[in-house]
Amino acid sequence: MTRFDYSTKPWWQFAFEASLEALKDAQMTPADLDAIVFSSISTAVGGEHQSHKVSFLSDLFKTNIPIIEIPSVCGGGGVAFWTALHLQGFKNILVLASEKYADNKSETTVDWILSAAEKTIEQPEGMLFPVQNALIWQQYMEKYKATMDDLSLVAFKNHTNASFNPKAYFYKKPIDLEKIKNSPIVASPFRLMDCSLSVNGGAAVILSQEETEIKVIGSGFATDYLMTFQRQDLTHFKATQLAAKLAFDQSGITPADINVAEIHDAFTSVELISYEDLGFADFGKGAELIRSGKINLGGALPINPSGGLKAKGHPISATGLAQIYEITNQLKGRCEKERQTNPFPKHGLTHNIGGAGGSVTVHIFEKNN
Amino acid sequence: MPFYKCLKCGRIWQYPLSECPYCLVELKQLVSEKAKVSSISKVMIPTLRHPFVPYFVFLIEDENKNKWVYKSIKELNQGDFLSCDSDSEAIAVWRIKYDYLQAIKKAIQLIKGVELNENSKILILPSLFSASQNYLRENTSPEFLQAVIEYLLKNKVKIENIKIASQSFNEIPIEAMAERSGLLKICLKNKITPFDLNKSNFVKQGDWEISEEVLKADLVINLGISQSGRAKTTENIFRILKKENYLGLKYLFSEKEIAQNLEKNINDLINLSEADCIRDKEGYIFYLGIILAGKSYLKLDRVFNEIIMNRENLDLVADIDFKEISLVGRDLKEVQFDLNKI
Repeated sequence: MTRFDYSTKPWWQFAFEASLEALKDAQMTPADLDAIVFSSISTAVGGEHQSHKVSFLSDLFKTNIPIIEIPSVCGGGGVAFWTALHLQGFKNILVLASEKYADNKSETTVDWILSAAEKTIEQPEGMLFPVQNALIWQQYMEKYKATMDDLSLVAFKNHTNASFNPKAYFYKKPIDLEKIKNSPIVASPFRLMDCSLSVNGGAAVILSQEETEIKVIGSGFATDYLMTFQRQDLTHFKATQLAAKLAFDQSGITPADINVAEIHDAFTSVELISYEDLGFADFGKGAELIRSGKINLGGALPINPSGGLKAKGHPISATGLAQIYEITNQLKGRCEKERQTNPFPKHGLTHNIGGAGGSVTVHIFEKNN
Repeated sequence: MPFYKCLKCGRIWQYPLSECPYCLVELKQLVSEKAKVSSISKVMIPTLRHPFVPYFVFLIEDENKNKWVYKSIKELNQGDFLSCDSDSEAIAVWRIKYDYLQAIKKAIQLIKGVELNENSKILILPSLFSASQNYLRENTSPEFLQAVIEYLLKNKVKIENIKIASQSFNEIPIEAMAERSGLLKICLKNKITPFDLNKSNFVKQGDWEISEEVLKADLVINLGISQSGRAKTTENIFRILKKENYLGLKYLFSEKEIAQNLEKNINDLINLSEADCIRDKEGYIFYLGIILAGKSYLKLDRVFNEIIMNRENLDLVADIDFKEISLVGRDLKEVQFDLNKI
């Protein structure tokens, strides 16, 4: 994966850099690939104005293999990976995502993200993503008596982790807890430090039929209604629960067997709620888990050792694959020593969400002995 | 907020679907009677379509446990009920949530309704400005006209008492405009024969020659099609004048004076302006999702241009002080943004 930042490289350069790293790591060239599954937000934002990216990729890699584009907003990387896993008859598939997304005033960028909410009923009512998640979090707080301080702990953990990750935007830029707690309000009760960081970047993974060090042992994908408040349970994400069940059933292991996880922390509340949806904590006990320190680096189950979307950065479609990049490196024991789960983990999990729980993938990885 | 429920399987949608895809039966529309605030978020970050902060987004729940979100400039507390004032002299601003009929009903209710019965004689004046396809938004849309007809029928107006008419003020035949816009099809579907006002009798009232059809109607419904930098609801009302008379009047009066005088000559008039997808001055189309209603077309056009923050080419309505206009339904800052930035 590329470093996540605000550099002004075009989207294809992020795609190229991420692909090249993956190919070199797998000791392959584009000639070894049978297909590419690519994810990017479907509409060009700002200065990019480039659709038909699959043909661009054909040109970039000088190849004529099938290239499929799978946009699913913030969940695009995970959905592309799930799709690649389900494709039949291909030996080596490059799964790729890249975004040149932050390239205009935040009023424009946030307005564009708003397009992932429902157009006629939600968007005109100011249903920005921080608002949507703030309203969900209020329902959760009321029901389970969690606090905003619990969310500050999530942000603090992820910022600390990112400060050790050279590919994270907040590398070597730790933020103290008091600053997090006092950051400006964005959409009450959310503060700036409850929100992830919109950045540019790319990530790539190669799926091979050949036996490698890392094996995908569980894969789940579920969707849910775009209209968030038409769902039955306003405090949790049903699609995460369904995707996790599918992945765990397939893997034959349980949440207790996971040693490290990358969770979709688009907002700090989403990470906390997802502890419960993924089975790492009972319903209503997510706050206890973050307070316990068990999910910090050095704990029994480090969550978001990369810094997560919160502090590594969130280049939309690239996020899901960046999570897989992190877990693969964690299982291989290749992360910086401050972030490396030790002893080296055997099982890792990734959890990638599109929208406010509208499309969710969960993948479980195992290190081959 | 309308919801649509399948009475067989219980599934609920917020989209006006023709039928339940599982049970293949028609959906029942549920309309909320009472809606209270369940959660609140105060938003501090401006975006292109929501530039004025702070504003509040409420999670609303009605008596059927259906939920939706609602933007407001006014602060409410958890448990408060949503309410809207109505005022017959105000301009109503309301959001169209897919369902034109619901939006029309609400907008008319906000200006305290109109009296309709089975003997009411109605003249509908759709906007017909060019022979163009509906998506170019130069004319009243077929869906909007259909919804107005349905509104009248639901209020006991007899189909034979509904007339639909317009006339061409340019060289394009009105028949061509009616056909191309899709409005002719709607008229025929409802068994209404539209007619050319130009061929009607005109009654002379001083300098004014007004179509007799207008004077015979119990209610005239002027359907505007909002466009940036234009006052098209006002422009459409000129169609009730004899074309030659209108051209002559332009030598004697400004268009603004003609419009002001006409307002005094029509007894029962309501203006409904469609601003779902709108044209800007260059002809590009933007989504706005609004309906406006009011007794005064001049005030209505002034409000529309204020919503999209257009202060250019407003000759017809330029000197109307926006602050003197009262709004009902949505507050200005709940719906206002600068169209030029989109």
